Amino acid sequence: MTDKNRTLSVELMEPSATFTLREVCERGDCHAEFVIKLVNYGVIAPMDETPEARQWQFDLQTLARLRKAQRLQRDLKMNLPGLAMSLELLDEVRDMQRQIDRLNNQLRGLLGEE
Amino acid sequence: MDFKDYYAVLGVSESASPEEIKKVYRKLARKYHPDVSKEENAGDKFKDVGEAYEVLKDPEKRAEYDELKKYGARKDGSFQRPPGWKSASGFGGGGYTEADAGQFSDFFEEIFGGGRRGGAGFGAGFGSQRHTMRMRGEDVNARLALPLEEAFQGCERQVSFNVQEADAQGRAVPRQKTLKVKIPAGMKEGQHIRLKGQGAPGVGGAESGDLFIEVEYAPHPNFTVDGSDILITVPITPWEAALGASITVPTVGSKVTLKVPKGTSSGRKLRLKGKGLPGKKPGDQLVVLQIVMPEQHSEDSEALYRELAEAEKAFNPRSKLLV
Repeated sequence: MTDKNRTLSVELMEPSATFTLREVCERGDCHAEFVIKLVNYGVIAPMDETPEARQWQFDLQTLARLRKAQRLQRDLKMNLPGLAMSLELLDEVRDMQRQIDRLNNQLRGLLGEE
Repeated sequence: MDFKDYYAVLGVSESASPEEIKKVYRKLARKYHPDVSKEENAGDKFKDVGEAYEVLKDPEKRAEYDELKKYGARKDGSFQRPPGWKSASGFGGGGYTEADAGQFSDFFEEIFGGGRRGGAGFGAGFGSQRHTMRMRGEDVNARLALPLEEAFQGCERQVSFNVQEADAQGRAVPRQKTLKVKIPAGMKEGQHIRLKGQGAPGVGGAESGDLFIEVEYAPHPNFTVDGSDILITVPITPWEAALGASITVPTVGSKVTLKVPKGTSSGRKLRLKGKGLPGKKPGDQLVVLQIVMPEQHSEDSEALYRELAEAEKAFNPRSKLLV
């Protein structure tokens, strides 16, 4: 490869991009049934939970979560209830870690440490 | 090429039973899964463990590997494939594996290889097999830690990530890509941005995947972030606390004048409306005031404190402690 460190200037970006069920499946290389099951188990949620799955729209965070669910299922052979619980616990751990970082930082400030 | 000791990777003895190997592998896979582990290099460890298991779980491959370990491994830890060696259980001859062999090491490729196959990069390297002739390129995920000021104001940053590309033989090879990316102002932690078409290239003329970047905040020496709000602890003097004062307080990327009310106690929280992270609903900056003493007082100051102590004799800050 000649352009190993090619640098491109890129115009942005869509923080608010959304995806239909079909797009989500194409990108994630997965079946719609799998996505619908994840929604039914509350692992992921469309932006508006209409009964008609074809009208569902997913945001970027949800797409990332779906990929995470897929990787965990594939790599650790998890079933759906296990997957749902693991992702919830991982979220909780992440939130708590952030909270600990915040409190530690505040504590350092209050104790006047650098 | 270095010899890979798969037994050491899993931490099992060479006489370990298949059940033991499976058990250890499952445990390590959970421990090092890049979506679970916070450890550095978890992705690499996860890959190593997967590669070791791929060989040791299969009696045929394990027997071949044991044979090679006996004859192929040199004292200095390097490895040379014995002349004429050909794996009977390799992927080249249509061997099936659930794992993505494209992610495995050169060592693995040397022994069981011939069938390096495509997969996608999730930074640390996740992948899935695909064999269709025409398919959209894989999306790539990357993380980016931004200093708070840059996330606040927007910035231009270089992002490096790995994508799998097909070489002339159609084999998937990882390539490092570096892009200059413009980050919009007011990115929140956990938010994603997308760069269309900057993921792995498509196969057979199909479109490329996208690059998704998740934003994180790098730790800041003064500020902490809570949702859209920004917290800072600001020291004040005892006389500023007693008499009230106008003090200068830093905000992200700027500073403001803050009025400290008369008679402020340590720990008092003041809210600067709209000085938090920008957005549809901008956050606030919360200032926690903390009274600090000079390290030393002059004799004059001490005399003044003694006078003050006399004047404020009635005040007992420990009345709640019943002492």
